[in-house]
Amino acid sequence: MKPFTGSLIRPSLLLFFILLPSFAFKAGHPDPVKWILTKECTLKVNGSTNINKFSCIVPEYAQPDTLICYKDNKNGPIKITGSMALDVQKFDCKHAVMTNDLRKTLKAKIYPKIIIKFLNLSKYPDVYNREEAVKGAVTIELAGTVKRFEVDYKYVMNGNGNLKLIGTKQVNFSDFNISPPRKLGGMIKTNNELNVEFVLNVKTLN
Amino acid sequence: MKRIILSGLIAGALLFILCYGGLYLGIRLFPALFMDYNNPLFNSDGNRDVFFYMHAFIISFALSWFWDRFKGLFHGHFILRGLEFGFVYAMVSLLPVMWITFSSLDITFFMVLSWFLYGFFQAVVAGTLFAKLNP
Repeated sequence: MKPFTGSLIRPSLLLFFILLPSFAFKAGHPDPVKWILTKECTLKVNGSTNINKFSCIVPEYAQPDTLICYKDNKNGPIKITGSMALDVQKFDCKHAVMTNDLRKTLKAKIYPKIIIKFLNLSKYPDVYNREEAVKGAVTIELAGTVKRFEVDYKYVMNGNGNLKLIGTKQVNFSDFNISPPRKLGGMIKTNNELNVEFVLNVKTLN
Repeated sequence: MKRIILSGLIAGALLFILCYGGLYLGIRLFPALFMDYNNPLFNSDGNRDVFFYMHAFIISFALSWFWDRFKGLFHGHFILRGLEFGFVYAMVSLLPVMWITFSSLDITFFMVLSWFLYGFFQAVVAGTLFAKLNP
């Protein structure tokens, strides 16, 4: 009798231990929401030299990607996984020589991508609130250096249910170990500060 | 030899002040004219700045030697000698160099013209000074 009982208990225990973790995870993490980044996403960089200002833009995001948001509660912070990778070669400063200069400064040949990895948001955008500001953390990988930033976002709910998330952040060339370009023995100098603005056009999938 | 070096040194100091001072003021007063220097053709990491600022002395020593060899060809008032010296330098050296520069590099005509006039001005100033210091 004894061996027979034992042979029934052991598989049951095994099944219990296999299923236990899946129940545990289900209770702590609600279903994730998928954010599909559409090709209307853009990245704009505004900067200045001692003789002019420049504004360079990656006008569209050719490679749609998905971010996954884990919202634990309605008003609390949410965790995000996913990233967007933009081509440095697609920067356009509306001035051919400045465009080439920016690409060279950002070492486009060695590091062809800018990768923005999304980490969190202070709260999940409220679909009933058409415009609001939130904060969130990202890491930006540029010219081979990865740096974490807190970004201010403004979001707009579009009529079609899509979400437009506009993130702005002031960064420095030096944050990425890049020396701001200087010409003619330093008589023409690019300022270290850059204002980065990225626009995410998001289609939500539950 | 001593005269070549001395007049080259004095001309170098004068050109340094006039040219870089002029460039500094030009950039501040007419920034739009310098927009095209934001170009990857130009060194941007500062590792050649010393060479850039040495140029006034390099051209002064070269012109001082050239003056000493050929000063007998330039006659008249010292300003006229300086002007003629500058003109000869511009025709013999600057024009062919600027020609090949414009034809081979992606730079504007205005930029090349400004370099030509800048070089001509340098040679006239140096020539006028040499006509006084080493007649």
